[in-house]
Amino acid sequence: MPNAYQGTLLHIDLSGQEVQHLPVPQWLRETFVGGKGFGAKLLYDLLPAGTAPLDPATPLMFFPGPLTGTKAPSIRACAVTKSPLTGLFLDSYFGGEFGQEIKYAGYDGLIITGRAPQPVYLYIADTTVEIRPAASLWGQDALEANANIKRECEDPSLKIVTIGQAGEKRVPFALLSCEFNRQAGRGGAGAVMGAKNLKAVAVRGEQLVKVADPEGFTKAVAQAHTELEGSDDIQVLRQTGTASAVEFANEAGLFPANNFQDSSFAKADRLGDKGQSKHLWLGNIACLGCPIYCSKIGAIRHGKYAGTISDTVEYESAGLLGANLGISDIRAVTHLTRLCDVFGLDSMSAGGAIGFAMEAAEKGIIDAPDGIDLTFGNVEAAEYLIRGMALQENELGRLLSQGVRRAAVALGGDSEAFAQHTKGLETPAWGPRGALGTGLAFMTADRGGCHQRGLPAPIEITHDEYNGKPVDPRATEGKAAMVMEMQDFSAGTDALVKCDFATAGIAIETYAAMLSTATGVERDASFLTDLGARIWNQIRLFNLREGLDPSDDRLPKRFFRDPVPSGPQQGQHFTTEQTAAMLEEYYALRGWDASGVPTSTTLDTLSLGTLPRFVLNS
Amino acid sequence: MHIRANFDRCTGCRLCQFACAERACSGYNPRHSLLRIQNSTEHLYNFPIVCNHCLNAYCQNVCPARAISRDEQTGAVVIDENRCISCGLCAQYCPLGVIIRHPESDKYAKCDLCGGHPLCVQACPTGALEIAYTGGDHA
Ligand code: SF4
Repeated sequence: MPNAYQGTLLHIDLSGQEVQHLPVPQWLRETFVGGKGFGAKLLYDLLPAGTAPLDPATPLMFFPGPLTGTKAPSIRACAVTKSPLTGLFLDSYFGGEFGQEIKYAGYDGLIITGRAPQPVYLYIADTTVEIRPAASLWGQDALEANANIKRECEDPSLKIVTIGQAGEKRVPFALLSCEFNRQAGRGGAGAVMGAKNLKAVAVRGEQLVKVADPEGFTKAVAQAHTELEGSDDIQVLRQTGTASAVEFANEAGLFPANNFQDSSFAKADRLGDKGQSKHLWLGNIACLGCPIYCSKIGAIRHGKYAGTISDTVEYESAGLLGANLGISDIRAVTHLTRLCDVFGLDSMSAGGAIGFAMEAAEKGIIDAPDGIDLTFGNVEAAEYLIRGMALQENELGRLLSQGVRRAAVALGGDSEAFAQHTKGLETPAWGPRGALGTGLAFMTADRGGCHQRGLPAPIEITHDEYNGKPVDPRATEGKAAMVMEMQDFSAGTDALVKCDFATAGIAIETYAAMLSTATGVERDASFLTDLGARIWNQIRLFNLREGLDPSDDRLPKRFFRDPVPSGPQQGQHFTTEQTAAMLEEYYALRGWDASGVPTSTTLDTLSLGTLPRFVLNS
Repeated sequence: MHIRANFDRCTGCRLCQFACAERACSGYNPRHSLLRIQNSTEHLYNFPIVCNHCLNAYCQNVCPARAISRDEQTGAVVIDENRCISCGLCAQYCPLGVIIRHPESDKYAKCDLCGGHPLCVQACPTGALEIAYTGGDHA
């Protein structure tokens, strides 16, 4: 009976120039399903303990899930490796079409290890796998390299992931560019790719993805579409993408301004859907198989940056490269985001680093370079620093490109007090003061300060109900359970790999029904949340093994020391009692001991103690 | 009848191609669907390319096995799989590139308007594909 797996993992060792086709073990499918699940297990098993992220032995992996490449709506893929920015587990997600093409080429994942002696790119067409020279592509930006590979191969239908100059130069927050307007941004997978001397992976595939129960699958997919159509949140995403969140977050007092010094920004409307629709948008585009078309693509028509084509400046970039830098001109923010995309820098960490530098200059901790006015609101300064970080072309850029945690250590003084990160990952564009659960979500996120592992903010701020009870944003009570549930939901469905937006419509039961009918193995909603818990604990084990100090489960100092100066959250800040109380409850609920380590009972319950180890039997 | 493509509404989501590949090949892969979505300018533009069911159909003209004919009911230009000898001339001379080799049967396949109820049109969430009727020979 066919099922939605292709049954094979492709391993490429760039050092030995060897290629292996490995069967996907049945136990791996059953216990980890795909996507984030495969990533959690394989990174733990394949990375020799303590290996540096940029060491050739560190695997860089790409995982679709069982539903990727089928007609199930809004399904994506992820890249998994050890983060050069945090030293922890890294899973970074991307839409577009690259993940699906991995399935069409016949694989449930790509595992890349080693380091090529010279720059190369990978060409994968079904069972043909070639390591091709890329010396001529080295130094090109992410989109130039994409276009040139298509030209060289005379195949515009190739789906390609590339790095830009930042990845080549191993900037710890370099991204992966997964075709136009789609990036796996966070955590520096681009640097891992650069350290492998790997400029790109180009894939095409002729295989079909089939499902076990076509009729049942069609029914489950129809249900998912009905749920998407019936959701108000989805309709908003359809209208505006995430740009509408700008004004929402600003009115709620969660929108970072001037390196999180404030929590609202007077000109936020210019960065949100109003500003963007006026100056940029022309039409809608969608990822493969997605009816939501959250992308509003357009172009800057006149002025200094005329001619730039751009997808929606999504919420995080609008926040971190806009308000967080005191910049309100949406065209300038579009330009800065575009620079990050083509050079290959995570726009979120880049915005965090620039905000940090602007504040350091404001406080006299650093001197602005000659001719640069390093003050909030200055677009030229931001551009100077983006170039400096990505191309490593100036000293301040090189310092900031290490991320705010390392930059603060290097600068010393009081700079740590405004280095906005958790475990080294720059804080997303949600200032959590006033929304305690959101703070807990950042503290406990598996890859560091992250908004994608459960984001209680919108529920907290609107006093919406969660599990039938209205949520008080300023209470600590109940937050641990809420955050844990959200994390397990997110991790479980990221094994599929779902789009975060689609979860505003599609119910977990429907994901389970699509999974069951696609694979022919009956699964219910609780299977997915249990799976999420298993994945979460597997990653915790990885992080602890790789040196995570549980005392790093904490928020940036600013959120304790500096009350919000204005707006709806004026006066709000965290206290150590609050975070300690939430964390204590969270550890207990997770089945972790008081120091944040999973107990053996917990591991047994999740069958993590007894699973085989995945090996590359080369 | 024929399918009209309104490129101005197309988002490039390819749900149409999934619906088509599912019927044509019992599986999913947009490369094996009988219509194409062509992107340009960083996906700013997406053009659905569907069979025109041409009045002067080159595919039909070049087929040495006379496997291609017009369905009287729908007006669709269709391939009779039993007569197809897999020579591929139809695909070679189709100006739109919408005739493909079936990945499993090895025969050539093209749009037959799903017998009058095109699944791609039903699957399209934006109205970029719609059924149109023309007067004349094959209304
Ligand atoms: S389903 Fe409609 S919107 Fe999507 S690619 Fe096809 S024609 Fe375009």
